Amino acid sequence: MTLQLGRHTFDDQATLMMAIVNRTPDSFYDQGATWAEDRALERVALVVSQGAEIVDIGGIKAAPGVEISAAEEMSRVVDFVARVRAAYPSLVISVDTWRASVAAAVCAVGADVINDAWGGADPELVDAAAEGGAAVICTHTGGVTPRTRPYRIEYDDVVAAAIADTVAYAERAVAAGVPRESVVIDPAHDFGKNTFHSLEVTRRLGEMVDTGYPVLVSLSNKDFVGETLDLPVGERLVGTLAATAVCALAGARIYRVHEVVETRQVVDMVSSIAGRRPPRRAIRGLQ
Amino acid sequence: MTRVVLVPGVLALLPEYAGLVDPVADLRAACLSAVAWLGTGPVTVIADPQGARVARALLEACGGIETGLRPSSTTATASYLVVGNGSACRSEKAPGHLDERAAAYDDGLRAGLASSDVKGLDLGLGKSLLASLDAIARLPEVLPVGTPAQVDYDDDPFGVQYWVMRWQA
Repeated sequence: MTLQLGRHTFDDQATLMMAIVNRTPDSFYDQGATWAEDRALERVALVVSQGAEIVDIGGIKAAPGVEISAAEEMSRVVDFVARVRAAYPSLVISVDTWRASVAAAVCAVGADVINDAWGGADPELVDAAAEGGAAVICTHTGGVTPRTRPYRIEYDDVVAAAIADTVAYAERAVAAGVPRESVVIDPAHDFGKNTFHSLEVTRRLGEMVDTGYPVLVSLSNKDFVGETLDLPVGERLVGTLAATAVCALAGARIYRVHEVVETRQVVDMVSSIAGRRPPRRAIRGLQ
Repeated sequence: MTRVVLVPGVLALLPEYAGLVDPVADLRAACLSAVAWLGTGPVTVIADPQGARVARALLEACGGIETGLRPSSTTATASYLVVGNGSACRSEKAPGHLDERAAAYDDGLRAGLASSDVKGLDLGLGKSLLASLDAIARLPEVLPVGTPAQVDYDDDPFGVQYWVMRWQA
């Protein structure tokens, strides 16, 4: 279906690269490489030049750690969102936050998407998104508290649980006034899930696509890739891209990534294999 | 009056083989311009079955009408769309690889087409050079020998010799 991400519209078959931009000193993949605001702006410039349609700006790492207050989170992201908005009018700006107060503040300075990686932990977040004219990413976390690791969580059927929770969250967002075409669901690999769960969600992603809501996947360099291949952070790109290909074949629409160029190539290639995208330039045998 | 257009049977001209970027944009533009010149009346296609698909696609893109092989006697202008091309062996990357005889063969064919005199064509050599000549060899059926051609396109972008030409007699 047509996607409306804040002030930007995308057609039915469009696949989108959402590049991760951390305003954190301690995220697992980049270890604070873009903690300084100018470094983060350079990262935005880079991913835009690589073709990313969306940047996902986050002020708090997902893993447990020092508590970051809402005020501190806002100081990390709000002015930065405003700078990115001014510099890149046609870029979709997403902010990774679970807090309604932060969502309201970033919407006021030009955010288009609220990426609630923690599955609706703050019940007022959808209201803030609706009032701010932003799209919402509805994730499945199994009901865990933000910034906690999964510990002995089990599901009768992890995909059924992911669908039930994300669709319920999506309906809550629509009821709050977020347009139906601005609601995206995300099974949230590794969040409230062990590696077996994340693999099963990947294998059965088509069931989430069948809900009719556009599906976002966030696979990039995650632990389920690392555990599956027994590889540390920094050596997970190939595994990430393999999982990306499976999700692309199933029909995922948005890819939250560290590596834009590689992911775009995989998604385009798989989309063409699936018959959803023509080849870029075909002449072999057709001269 | 008779109007005849020659286009190459390039499958990349077919809508089912369209990519995001058109690899034959210039050729397509020349073909469409020439086919449009044939007018909106019935057009007789002279082509092998594969070439006929290309002709139909071009005619459809121009909103034209394809007929059988017999032109309507009631129309003032008899219009023909001929599908054929030169050799496919003009470079290392060409479909038929490089054949040193290809350039000279195409030069001869070009000269013949320019004056619609193709009776002396070496069809056997043309076949071995992967030229598409079946329809071109039938030009004398619809066009007096010696009719000068207007050349709209003359290039070999993929090691295959393409022409877009038009004749009026």
